[in-house]
Amino acid sequence: MSLKSLMISSALGAMLLAPGAAVARDLTVAIQNNLTGLDPTNVNDTLSQTSLRLIYQGLFGFDPEMNLVPLLAESYESNADATEFTITLREGVEFHDGTPFNAEAVKVNIDRLRNPDNNLSRRSLVSMVQEVEVVDDRTVKLILDAPFGAMIASLAHPGAMMISPAALEEYGNDIDRNPVGTGAFTFTNWSADTLEVARNDDYWKGPAEVDNIIIRSVPESGARMAMLQTGEAQFVPNFPPELLQVVQNNPDLTVETSPSIVEWYVALNNNKEPFGNKQVRQALNHAVDKDAFCQVVFSGLCTPADSIIPQGLAFHVTAGEYEYDLDRARELLAEAGYEDGFSAEIWANSNTESLRALQFLQQQLAQINVQLNVVPLEAGVAAQRIWSIESPEDAEVQMYYGGWSSSTGDADWGIRPLLLGENTPPSMFNVAYYANDELDAAINGAIGTADPDERAAYYETAQNLAWEGAPWIFLGVTDLVAAQSSDVTGVHMLPDRGFLLEDAAFTE
Amino acid sequence: MLSFLIKRLLGTAPVVLMVMIAVFAFVHLLPGDPARLVAGPEATAQDVAAVRASLGLDKPLPQQFVTYVSNTLQGDFGTSLRTRRPVVEEIGMRLMPTVWLTLFAMLWAVAIGLLIGVVSAVRRGRWQDYGGMILAVSGISFPPFWLGLLLINLFSVRLGWLPTGGYGTWQHFLMPSFTLGLGVAAVMARFTRSAFIEIAREDYVRTARAKGVPERRVIWHHSLRNALIPIITMVGLQFGFLLGGSIVIEAVFAWPGVGRLLVDSVSYRDYPVIQALVLMFSIQFILINLLVDVLYVLANPEIRYQ
Repeated sequence: MSLKSLMISSALGAMLLAPGAAVARDLTVAIQNNLTGLDPTNVNDTLSQTSLRLIYQGLFGFDPEMNLVPLLAESYESNADATEFTITLREGVEFHDGTPFNAEAVKVNIDRLRNPDNNLSRRSLVSMVQEVEVVDDRTVKLILDAPFGAMIASLAHPGAMMISPAALEEYGNDIDRNPVGTGAFTFTNWSADTLEVARNDDYWKGPAEVDNIIIRSVPESGARMAMLQTGEAQFVPNFPPELLQVVQNNPDLTVETSPSIVEWYVALNNNKEPFGNKQVRQALNHAVDKDAFCQVVFSGLCTPADSIIPQGLAFHVTAGEYEYDLDRARELLAEAGYEDGFSAEIWANSNTESLRALQFLQQQLAQINVQLNVVPLEAGVAAQRIWSIESPEDAEVQMYYGGWSSSTGDADWGIRPLLLGENTPPSMFNVAYYANDELDAAINGAIGTADPDERAAYYETAQNLAWEGAPWIFLGVTDLVAAQSSDVTGVHMLPDRGFLLEDAAFTE
Repeated sequence: MLSFLIKRLLGTAPVVLMVMIAVFAFVHLLPGDPARLVAGPEATAQDVAAVRASLGLDKPLPQQFVTYVSNTLQGDFGTSLRTRRPVVEEIGMRLMPTVWLTLFAMLWAVAIGLLIGVVSAVRRGRWQDYGGMILAVSGISFPPFWLGLLLINLFSVRLGWLPTGGYGTWQHFLMPSFTLGLGVAAVMARFTRSAFIEIAREDYVRTARAKGVPERRVIWHHSLRNALIPIITMVGLQFGFLLGGSIVIEAVFAWPGVGRLLVDSVSYRDYPVIQALVLMFSIQFILINLLVDVLYVLANPEIRYQ
């Protein structure tokens, strides 16, 4: 070895050892449940979807307030009746395996997702696409078989994120275990309960601050909190509210709460007596104290609902207020011919929080002599008895307590699956079996245009109609709670209970 | 001995088949539609149908059973409905954590349980006996999740000596194995004590004492050796149960074991994983019983198998 090369190598060694160089740091996130898969087009739980945002990106995405932003797309245009969307793509983006991101890659991805033979569970996001046309390398045109005004919001859903065409070719269905995207992190390992990703130094926005992100499933809430206290984890999304006190007293930890887009309600089956009667439905709304609901069920981390969709969703308007007024409730019941009240069954998924809600509702409605029989259902049983029935006539459900969050961040997926007349189970989720022609017209009108002003007008009408018709007992919109180490910045919860970690950094 | 082993192993075949039928019937009788659960809360009917077809759940039940048995006999346990990974892989990466945890827990259990049991029996009716039995009753009554959280709070949060959970170094094993072992230790202590007291009444113990064998030798050689038979049975039984994975311990200490896998699989109606796990647990029990029989011979050469 010559003297010169020796000097160079020692200089390099000194540089590596030099103090003050950025310390390698990893971010560990502790979540409750296990991830279920790594193919974004084929997973259904928010945790898996949101974790995959580290590796994958869509044409569009969300900022921390869940506003729609372009990611791999630069801009789009649509025709007047929302049947053609021309999307201009970002230049110079590459997948982790070096495959260029271009119009052909978009075509491969959307064609794969919309092909019924592939049996991908997020197919409905793009099933209305009839043809994907590659206009040039940077331009792609989606031609739909029917107007769909919420197309761009659907493309922002994690289920429509872009996978490397070369990796799809190579791995086939095993893409589930070998994810290759364009995101800020590359896949390292996925074991029984841990997902590890490493910084992508060629990321088109510039490399991330942290070296690795580790997402670990820790089912017990007390253990997740302990990890935060010992520094084993730096971010705990969906932090259990009952442990908040402990964290708030610790100066090394920070708690953030923000409104979610999860709205809770009781759907009233309009096909069952007496819920077909609007006065009865309105009476039930007047008989429940929504502020008390928020306090009792969610420890105050909740806001009373003022429309069929949460305040944080695009196109939300304040539709009104059903004041807590027992006299008014009794009056309405009497007008409907139920002055002696009635009794009914209420169903919900079986967990502590739902049970608390059911008991609260039972107590509230007993005040107007409506006797509730509380029936908690295990998730599999609920799926069968509520959602997988053969036809609407077979529905046994009378009242159903549940929550909904529109994972596209758009009013369409917050209203259409739940309240459009034809969208009853088993095809969709109108478990109120509500059918209102005026409402249907407004929902379908909004779908038929991509113009934001026109959509806003339709959705305002829809919200006012649905509020007045009261197919549900409107309850509340919950808050999100996340706890983190005080020396971490750039980690956010999304209003749909997912999270964004791309900008994570340590301040010391 | 060898022919005995072979005969016993062959005898397990019908048991395994019975288990397979029972498990298949059981999981398919559970209410709930796996396709709907796999497809997720936002899936439309169209999505659910797609999932059902891709999982082969649209076929008639007898056909599914035949496929299941023939695949299982060829060593193919299918793919998990939930994660779409091969079942063998899903179980494989969680089996060793559970096996190691069980072994360490049994170490604690045998060490603590035998010691307390023997001391209580020898000092029967004295304060050591009462103290030991109070400990044993407390050990059984202590809810393991609470003990686990207390240990985490003390050793991880306050003292910072041990990691809160997860699977990795020997430090990761200490708290979960102790928490898991303590309940078993308590059972072992009570069992050892009563076995010991019974042996102490036997003639050969009296004879040994009468001919002047030192007390220490009477206890550890004459009594313990003979008390071992029921104790080995007990250890085998507990071992079999622990190998099924402790749901509570695995949840508290974020342990990637088969217990959590089973719970997750049941709530997702992940048929292939449930079937494979229950089959595995049954075979484990059969093998442990066999091992226990062999250990009898080692503990007491007078026992012979034809």
